[in-house]
Amino acid sequence: MSLRLPAFPFDNRRVVGALFLAPALLYILLIVGFPFLLAIAFGFSDVTVGNTDLNFVGFRNFEAVWDNAIFRQVFETTIRFTLISQVFILLFANILAIIFTQDFTGKWFARFIFILPWATPVSLAMIGWLWMLDTKYSPIDYLLLQTGFLGPGGILSKDRNLFWLASPDLAQISVIFVQVWRMTPLATVILMAGLSSIPTDILDQAEVDGSRFMRTLLLIKLPLILPIMVIALLFSMITMFGDMTVVYVLTRGGPVDYTRVLGLYSFQVGIEGGNLAQGAAISLFAFPLLLAMAIFMLRTASRAEVR
Amino acid sequence: MGLLSWILTNFWALLVIALLALVGARIAWRILKYGATRDELRYVLRRSPFYLLVLTFCFFAIAPFLIMFLHTFKTDGDLYRRPQPFIFRQDPTIEHLDALFNNTAYLDFIRNSIVVGIAVVIITLVLSLPAAYALARLTGRWGERAGILMFLVYLVPPTLLFIPMFRIVVLLGLKDSPLALIVVYPSFTVPFSMWLLQGFFKAVPPELEEAALVDGYNRVEAFLRVVLPLSLPGIISTVVFTFTLTLHEFIYGLVFIADTSQRTLSVGVPTELILGDVYFWQPLLAAALIIAIPVGLAYNLFLDSLVQGFTMGAVKG
Amino acid sequence: MSLVQISGLKKHFDTVRAVDGVDLDISEGEFLVILGPSGCGKTTLMRMIAGLEKPTEGAIAIGGADVTALPPRKRGVSMVFQSYALYPHMNVFNNIAFPLRAQRREKKLDKRMIRQKVESTARLLEIDMLLDRRPRQLSGGQRQRVAIARAMVTQPAVLLLDEPLSNLDAKLRANARDELKDFQRSSNITAVFVTHDQIEAMGLGDRIVVMSEGKIQQIGSPQHIYDDPANEFVATFLGSPSMNILSVDGCRFGFRPEHFLPKTLSDKPENSRLFHYYVKRVEYLGSDRLVYGYVQDHEDELTLAKVPSNVRASLDVESDYEFAVRDSDIKYFDKQTGLRIPAPKRSEVTYS
Repeated sequence: MSLRLPAFPFDNRRVVGALFLAPALLYILLIVGFPFLLAIAFGFSDVTVGNTDLNFVGFRNFEAVWDNAIFRQVFETTIRFTLISQVFILLFANILAIIFTQDFTGKWFARFIFILPWATPVSLAMIGWLWMLDTKYSPIDYLLLQTGFLGPGGILSKDRNLFWLASPDLAQISVIFVQVWRMTPLATVILMAGLSSIPTDILDQAEVDGSRFMRTLLLIKLPLILPIMVIALLFSMITMFGDMTVVYVLTRGGPVDYTRVLGLYSFQVGIEGGNLAQGAAISLFAFPLLLAMAIFMLRTASRAEVR
Repeated sequence: MGLLSWILTNFWALLVIALLALVGARIAWRILKYGATRDELRYVLRRSPFYLLVLTFCFFAIAPFLIMFLHTFKTDGDLYRRPQPFIFRQDPTIEHLDALFNNTAYLDFIRNSIVVGIAVVIITLVLSLPAAYALARLTGRWGERAGILMFLVYLVPPTLLFIPMFRIVVLLGLKDSPLALIVVYPSFTVPFSMWLLQGFFKAVPPELEEAALVDGYNRVEAFLRVVLPLSLPGIISTVVFTFTLTLHEFIYGLVFIADTSQRTLSVGVPTELILGDVYFWQPLLAAALIIAIPVGLAYNLFLDSLVQGFTMGAVKG
Repeated sequence: MSLVQISGLKKHFDTVRAVDGVDLDISEGEFLVILGPSGCGKTTLMRMIAGLEKPTEGAIAIGGADVTALPPRKRGVSMVFQSYALYPHMNVFNNIAFPLRAQRREKKLDKRMIRQKVESTARLLEIDMLLDRRPRQLSGGQRQRVAIARAMVTQPAVLLLDEPLSNLDAKLRANARDELKDFQRSSNITAVFVTHDQIEAMGLGDRIVVMSEGKIQQIGSPQHIYDDPANEFVATFLGSPSMNILSVDGCRFGFRPEHFLPKTLSDKPENSRLFHYYVKRVEYLGSDRLVYGYVQDHEDELTLAKVPSNVRASLDVESDYEFAVRDSDIKYFDKQTGLRIPAPKRSEVTYS
């Protein structure tokens, strides 16, 4: 390529490549790798906020955490929330991605609106939902009350309120709904990238072949974006699995422990409770699961791509 | 204020009228263009379920924001006594907006968020621009592996790392300082923007750099003079999304900083504007809305670019 | 009776007039080639026949029925795309079966009949041993056959082909061209073939439609449009190297390089025009010599001659010769419109 001999190191592809990559790689190793190892060390120690000595205690923390009934429930809740919300996220994201890869009047504005839940910082959007689901003043309850679903003779409840965040079932439903609400746009955007990368020739061909909308969708478009759908799923599952912001603002894990998820629990034990070691152990329980999920999905995606 | 108050008191009527007017104008425009034929009528009827679907999704997406908007201007009496969330029984007021900006640390939060955001964007660009270029062009198999590693790092959730990071921050004496966030945030912004930038760099034809090399520039100069200017739109959208990532971050901000005046928006608003059990709803909702709108606009503006970078980054090669 | 009738067809994209008033009749069983440079509107015209593009104006009828407003699936057409557009996630069998399955209700097909049709079409195109493969496991030539099989399996009234040979390498291409022609002849299907390659067009077409700037310039058999071009565009677009065009006061006249020969080789000098020709450069192309030079009084217009290598005539560079063109080989064009005009009387034009 270059007519000159690579006398200067800046001409050598490998040297420049290594030089360019090194700072970012080192920074990440330092800022992610080191804390990660430290998390493992904490998990095997008895460190607290007050006592910062690292004494090796073996699997005591993990055993204590695993024997804790609350932890088991928290673990199960996290998995349940993640799985249920993914079903709805994928469903809505597919519909929305198909809508937004078509041309229609007012698309720009519609897109702005549907992106808002994702664009707004989660904790701030949750303030809106906190009010929407308020025990006393919930606008949703107000609508239901006016339409006769609530209040004396109401179908849903005789009460004037549903107590969205105070009743165990509704609190769980609310958290899942809000998670779906805020994460559908991201999955949609990823799927849109997939849909718009399908060659137009293929779609024209399907049209000439006599395929109608649903057939093209089910037999051509969806199979072709399957690898990207897996990536979208990976993104939203991992985001959701590690999230604590939604429940921190909405319920703080309540009522009782019904909406407590792993991230929040580890925060409450490790930071608020001051037991760094146990907090670290709690969050470490999530790691093998996350890793397995990531590897499984990336392999599925790349296999689908190679085909 | 007069106009605002009129809009607010007639909000729902105005919204319905605006929607109907838009639909009417659109149909009228089509009739002017294609004539009022039966085909045209059939077309309108066939399209309407689609628009209804769009409208339904839009309604769910925007509902909390509409409520935020209306409640920002409600007086306490209107909000709490005989609640009627959708209309104004008392005249709209801007006293809560006034209070938000003058009696709370809201402006401090905004300032902290901007400072942290800008510093993190700079660090992120310095680290990820060359690294992304190396992944896109310069390195072979091991570079690809490093790229996958980076992708996996992006997937490590903050809930896994915040406890040891908290210890490190305390040890470094950075607790309660935005500097802690500036140091830690690149742990997720660098992998993210590397991934995105790599896609944009791949879109630049390699022949252009090769031409620069033949013209007597070295690799580094070719990168600075050819690749960077050509991928400027992509870099700008990376900056936008990196900045908003820092704006969104909650857990580190919550754990590392306990001092009110040092907190960022995402943590400060939901923790500091609530005094124990007392929620100042109007300022709270206003504070959320004021951030949501510009970020939403920025996302919409740069979305196509993001999708393009994502697609290019996903394509192997 | 023509199978496809196109009348007054127009397609405007904003300000661009991609197709600007096309009238065309396609007869049953013919191989029609639409030839033109890129951007001449040929692909848009084909996409309108397929129903992928809605005309701004005009009408298309297939088999006597107006199909202008119909979607592709109701037109009885099928199409082979430049990229072949094979569905990458389906094997060859499912690719070929796809249009049958999509139209199984209209055509009243069951599973067994679909299998039969796919297999017989695959045998016809000699790809029956590839039915289990995925498109990415096929060679370029095989992909093309699969694409044609998929297009043929529904027994369409018209087969549309959008530059299907341009993705093959040169050696395969000549072969594929022959096969395509044989196949079309034996199946007697009506084929419309879009290309920018004049060799392909000449070799394949029963008739050629030459298009430029959204308009049809000429329709005719390959020989007809080559020997008898309707205007200057057709005259210069066909043939390689292209026709020499010289301007004289009243009009422009042209002759092909292969008709421009040294006077000594001319059999009937009395029926020929004579030129003083200054030879600037000679290229040997094996069978021919390509001569670059200038005709006297036209020193600003490079004029080419193509002289067979096997005739003995020494042609030295930077020398003057007497060259001749037979009167019948000279075409005259209007200076303004570019249209062919009859040869003016000899006295009206002064030659050098």
